[in-house]
Amino acid sequence: MDDDFPPPPSISHPGIVALDITDKFASAVKTLPPGQIVKDGHFTLFESVSALEIMDPKMDSGCLEEGESLDEEYDTARDLLPEEVLGIIDQLLCLEMAWHLGYPLSQTILTSVYVESFLRDPDAPLSSMTFVRGSAPQAKQPKFLFVLRAYCAGMLRACHCVNEIVKDELYYEVCRYAIYLGLPSAPAPKLIVLQEEDFVTNTYDRNFLSHIDLAEVTALLQATRADLRELSNDVPKDLALALDLRLELRVAFLRAMELYPLRRSNPDSLKMPWIQMKALMKHFKKQHELAKSVPEAFSTKMQRRLASTMPPRPIVQLSFDDTHTHFEQMFQDGKDAMDVLKYVDPQSLLHFVSTFQARDPQPLVFIRTMTQGLLFKDMIVLGHHSLRRILDDDLAIVVLPNARQLDPANDTIEVPTDPRHQLAAQMESFRQRAAECYLDLFRIFCQNRCRVRRTLCHSIQQWDHLQADVEEIDGLLQVCLDEKSLTTALGNIGHSLPLSSWAYLYKLRQMEWIVQLGFELDVYQPDELAGMYWYLNYLAKTRAQHGDRIKTFVLRDFTAAQESASWSQTKERNYTRSIAYIRVTMLDAACTWEFADGLCCLYTVLQRLGLVKTPSRPYSNDELRYEIRMKPFVNIGLPQLPSFDDFTKATAQPETSIAELLKYAENAVGGAKKGYEALSRMNDLQTFSVGCNDRWLANIKGCQKSAIYAGIAITALQKAIETEGEDAADLKLKVELPQPGKGYHDWWIVPKLTPTTES
Amino acid sequence: MEFSAAEEYLNSLINKTLRVHATDSRMFVGTFKCTDANRNVVLALTHEYRQPSQKQLAEAAASSSTGTVQAEMTSRYLGLVVVPGEHIVKMEVEQFVSQMKNKSALGQRALYV
Repeated sequence: MDDDFPPPPSISHPGIVALDITDKFASAVKTLPPGQIVKDGHFTLFESVSALEIMDPKMDSGCLEEGESLDEEYDTARDLLPEEVLGIIDQLLCLEMAWHLGYPLSQTILTSVYVESFLRDPDAPLSSMTFVRGSAPQAKQPKFLFVLRAYCAGMLRACHCVNEIVKDELYYEVCRYAIYLGLPSAPAPKLIVLQEEDFVTNTYDRNFLSHIDLAEVTALLQATRADLRELSNDVPKDLALALDLRLELRVAFLRAMELYPLRRSNPDSLKMPWIQMKALMKHFKKQHELAKSVPEAFSTKMQRRLASTMPPRPIVQLSFDDTHTHFEQMFQDGKDAMDVLKYVDPQSLLHFVSTFQARDPQPLVFIRTMTQGLLFKDMIVLGHHSLRRILDDDLAIVVLPNARQLDPANDTIEVPTDPRHQLAAQMESFRQRAAECYLDLFRIFCQNRCRVRRTLCHSIQQWDHLQADVEEIDGLLQVCLDEKSLTTALGNIGHSLPLSSWAYLYKLRQMEWIVQLGFELDVYQPDELAGMYWYLNYLAKTRAQHGDRIKTFVLRDFTAAQESASWSQTKERNYTRSIAYIRVTMLDAACTWEFADGLCCLYTVLQRLGLVKTPSRPYSNDELRYEIRMKPFVNIGLPQLPSFDDFTKATAQPETSIAELLKYAENAVGGAKKGYEALSRMNDLQTFSVGCNDRWLANIKGCQKSAIYAGIAITALQKAIETEGEDAADLKLKVELPQPGKGYHDWWIVPKLTPTTES
Repeated sequence: MEFSAAEEYLNSLINKTLRVHATDSRMFVGTFKCTDANRNVVLALTHEYRQPSQKQLAEAAASSSTGTVQAEMTSRYLGLVVVPGEHIVKMEVEQFVSQMKNKSALGQRALYV
């Protein structure tokens, strides 16, 4: 959108003359009866609604007030004290951060009079970009302006890089809108790609030094630092240092941008500029006291010169302290994001991405999209690996250790009747079917939290289809492999169906995430918590049972392989890894299952006692609300959504007494606590959290803590009931639910029971 | 002017490039799309031109070596706009010099169509 403005027509061209038609036109329109219009046949009135009304101060950004001049009174050639230069730079830092936080450039960096005059000529070489018109000789220019000039160049070039990275993001939430106007010339259905919703990439037709090489800007910054050192006699030492460090920050930022596409290099060397920037930020806070602000160097008037249909809006004022905190966090996140390149296995990678993006505060859009770029730019995973490798690795861990299907040698067989050739062909069709869904899992987590939940709701529909489709491939493969169905003590449990099992496992996990993110994002009302925890428990139980099924088949292959002649240590390692994965998955599912079950019982009791009240809802009933809540799940084939009656019965458990329910909740939460304890004692290899173990562990610890406090709440309630009976009025207890984000873990809403004071 | 002649005239201007001068001395150059009895004019692909300010004139005068002063009008792309009739002070239509010479010939051809 930024680049397709038509060039301004040449206003004085010898081949074109303008003929005055004022009077003729005026008398012509006078003959039109009221309501009659003359228009181009292809022009619709609907379009005219979007036209800007000239001279309307609310719409026309060029409309000036009486006596107002578009000229900026501020003179960029005025002399600046070094502390004023520092003040302007610090203000620019604040504006830059405001842009990162989601405000448009028009309300941030582009309000600077200096930036505006610097970008006056869009294609000029760097050497002729100056603040002073007519470029007076260096000697006549204000003495310290060169520092600001270099800083601006560095900042603008960096903004260009950031903007490009964000624009590169793989948007995939695509909607088709048919615009029905009832007019014959209505446009065809348009394809609208939704863009990043937390960031404005519009540059208002300004060229942010995109035509200038990074190295040239860096050279300018370095030369400026050298020149500044030579002026050491004219500037107080601490002030000179403050200016120098700000220039150094720009150098480091550009270096980071330069290194970012080199994903093949050592992640630790990619981290260097980020570490450097974070270290520099430490000094900035103290040095900011030296700065003298120049508020008149920023003006909303600058917006009138931008290619924008928006009338001027206020400048976004972020405090320097906030800016400082945000920048520090951004550099820390940028540094940590580089660790994603240390690939070990796909499960750890998924854990890395999901825990990285779940950080509170969530990494900024720029960091999020950069992570996505590191992961998937040009469809090369992490700069090294093919998608196939990641997908095959994942299959080998989850369902198919040492499987014949995954042997790359199969590809070399060219005889069509050979089963290995057929294996290769079937697996290839599987990969083509599954790759997009699988990649989306990683991409989804690079969005903001609300959008993660929303896109997961779409994603599970895809996975549901995928599961059905690959089950066919499973059927063809089991013929090629001559696989027998398995009979255990429980009877015949059929064929292993590894590919659809794999898809099913992921689908279940995503369904749990949707419910859990619902708790995190404060989607459910207090009286709905019991029901939603029951559904979470139902999903987690299904996942644990499914894990058990996968385990049975992996163990069967394991036992058979041990007896075969080709048994090797590598094979054993692969089997052990797969079994470890299934173990940790089942343990995780069991913890969720137990904990959700416990909380469901607790909330049911609180509801029965009237301690959690149902608000009056004159326009809805429970069944309709159930329909809305479960909308994402209603089309899913497996596991089938329970009917409303089953759901209500399972949640309210009318046949069970309060005492029994609490006893049950106590056991369940206790079980979950032990489970989390066991998980927290495992090492990063066992839990598939290599590279993100600290974040993974913090997550488990949060769950564990929640379970402990849930246990306390249950005991408190039990005691109160023992002494006071089951009448809510006698219990003298009050239920407090933690504010979103303030609990021990966002996914576990644990009520706090406090005694009410005697009245 | 009679209604039919007036309508024909206005239709002949459709999709021509017009220069519409507004009361605040700005000029809008764009493709004529639509008008009504109140002389509200819709222009597509419009650029806004603003007369150089006093300050810019002074700067241009300072840097010019010859007697005449040349200063560029500042322009900005706006897209689709509607200029309300009450704010219009002057309207011009852009024509190619080459086509104006053959104007009579074109006019004659219209007779046969």
